[in-house]
Amino acid sequence: MKKYLRWVMLMILGFAAAFTAAATPVHAADDSLQKVKAKGTLVMGTSPDYAPYEFLVNENGKNKVVGIDVEIAKKIAADMGVKLVIKQMDFDSLLVGLQTGKVDMVLSAMTPTAERKQSVDFSTIYYTANQDIIVNKADAKLYKSAESFVGKQVGAQTGSMQADLVKEKMTDSKLLGLTKVTDLILALKSHKVEGVVAEEPVATAYVQNDSQLALIKSGWSLDPEENGQAIGFAKGADALVAQANQSIAEIKKQGLIKSYMKTAGKYMTQNTANTSMFHYWRFFAKGIGYTLLITAVAVVIGVALGTLLALMRLGHVKVLKALAVAYIEFVRGTPLMIQVMFVYFGIGMFIDIPALIAGIIAVALNSGAYVAEIIRGGIESIPAGQTEAARSLGLSQRDTMQSVILPQAIKNIWPALGNEFISLIKESSIVSIIGVTDLIYQLKVVQTATYKGVQPIVVAMVIYFVLTFGLSKLLGHFERKMKHE
Amino acid sequence: MSKPLIQINHLVKKFGDNVVLNDITETINQGDVIVVIGASGGGKSTFLRSLNLLNQPTSGEIEFEGTNLVGLSEKQLDAVREKMGMVFQQFNLFPNMTVLENIKLAPMKVKATSDANATAKAQKLLAQVGLADKADAYPASLSGGQMQRVAIARALAMEPDVMLFDEPTSALDPEMVGEVLKVMQDLAKSGMTMVVVTHEMGFAREVADQVWFMDQGIIAEKGDPEQIFTAPKEARTKDFLSKVLAQ
Repeated sequence: MKKYLRWVMLMILGFAAAFTAAATPVHAADDSLQKVKAKGTLVMGTSPDYAPYEFLVNENGKNKVVGIDVEIAKKIAADMGVKLVIKQMDFDSLLVGLQTGKVDMVLSAMTPTAERKQSVDFSTIYYTANQDIIVNKADAKLYKSAESFVGKQVGAQTGSMQADLVKEKMTDSKLLGLTKVTDLILALKSHKVEGVVAEEPVATAYVQNDSQLALIKSGWSLDPEENGQAIGFAKGADALVAQANQSIAEIKKQGLIKSYMKTAGKYMTQNTANTSMFHYWRFFAKGIGYTLLITAVAVVIGVALGTLLALMRLGHVKVLKALAVAYIEFVRGTPLMIQVMFVYFGIGMFIDIPALIAGIIAVALNSGAYVAEIIRGGIESIPAGQTEAARSLGLSQRDTMQSVILPQAIKNIWPALGNEFISLIKESSIVSIIGVTDLIYQLKVVQTATYKGVQPIVVAMVIYFVLTFGLSKLLGHFERKMKHE
Repeated sequence: MSKPLIQINHLVKKFGDNVVLNDITETINQGDVIVVIGASGGGKSTFLRSLNLLNQPTSGEIEFEGTNLVGLSEKQLDAVREKMGMVFQQFNLFPNMTVLENIKLAPMKVKATSDANATAKAQKLLAQVGLADKADAYPASLSGGQMQRVAIARALAMEPDVMLFDEPTSALDPEMVGEVLKVMQDLAKSGMTMVVVTHEMGFAREVADQVWFMDQGIIAEKGDPEQIFTAPKEARTKDFLSKVLAQ
């Protein structure tokens, strides 16, 4: 092991250095507008879990992103004479999406804070909302404004302007940051927090759709220029920004936001008309499909890659051996979540990989490292006498491995491989952060659409269990088949 | 005058500083049945495993049918090894295959024999070792003696020019030793060249053309069984024989 250590470290460092060098953005002349016009599509990135700004509805079995922000984006695209394409991703991933060219603009009820302005450019403010605080109806009498929350825990979305406001204006309250509003509402109901700060349209939507909630005015007067929402663009995309500002000016002049809100409201009532989980079966079914697809492809690629890596590691070619060790150690030593983001955003800077493919690649590459070690252990568990017997019969190294060693190794490692496959079903859920609509993603979509926090979690939990239990039974069937007695 | 099949020249094998084979030069002729005896740690198994290069010699030559095997590539060795059958102390049957599949594997993979021909041949060999009824059994269901007979049949399926036996009865319960020795004896009668490392002195006496006594990495004494067992010349041969025959 020791003699490879230097090799391994060198390779990892070399790789990291090469990539950092390649990933440093080079500022060129601003051709942002021409580029969009040339390709004929304007790609909008958004995190559709924030009704009425952006959320999903199911129309004819297909998920569709709708909301105020979508209406605005449609207008901008129409003014430019191009088609609007919507890419869904986690709110936290949106700015990375801009920087890596995955999306042309970000509309996700985003406030142009000073920190964000350092990495991306913003349009003018298109909408400014008041800030409200959602509380449990039973406690509504206890609170009058933001000042009533002294000594209490208050929730807000991580990295949002609401979180900043809590820190700034509610200095005597403690902040709990969570990524999703749906999760914050769950925290509120279970009294992890006593209030959730959200902007008026969002807060109103929740209170209207959940009889256990009530609304408190924050009582803050905020500078609209600092607290409104704007569209994010890549740094230096001045021409695009100017084009969008024109559209925004028109929207303001004609008072279009009001009609956009109406449209969004209609979609919201469509979602909440029937909030039974059965009504949303299509969402879950789609999620199951993607979860199974990602897992199945990742298992196949992972096993092939794992076998290759294990053979490289056990072989006699030093460079291949070091390469395999470096790969395995590096992949096992970094979180899958980062690998998913790296493949989608990092590699995505050079080749445009769709989110689903990127997710599958990342999960498969990750699984390959673990499978490699399982297979290596399996091969090493076969007595040397088996190889000697095969070789003494004149079997080549390859035939020996293929006909004698691997079949026995696979039988020995089957339970461990089964573990890996089962955990893949669950771990593949991480791809939801780049907007792949797997089961976890759909769970959040249903939470957002129905304003029900717990029921979708229970449904998803049951589905995951059925999937893993089914796989477990299937693996057991093959295990019995491999017993030779 | 029979012609040499294996010529061993100045064979040396060291494991680190430990010299296990110390400059052995010997000839094995076609049709010879050579039984190698000696105390444990004398280098018998290492010597045998050097003949088909399962152990790579430190220096020296192993000439088989006129070709020096030392220095050949793994691929070239594959072609040689198929002509040198080997039987192991621990049988080393492939547990994931039936008896029949164990025997068919090498002929089909290495010689590209058709399934039908390989099956016919395997069944004939199984009959020869008295296990015709076990063709579809898995090794785990066989006794040690049966497994070793299958292992012999498996090696014979490649139609080797020489058979190497590495303590073939040492791992067997006493009541099963006989059935394996019987098969080996029949094989010797059929004219097969054999090199047998064993502690079975009765077998050596009855079947061997030559008995080689190994000690401290060399062939300390060799001769026909009658001479070795009744009139050993070397003191250490006498010493060894008096110990094993007293039992």
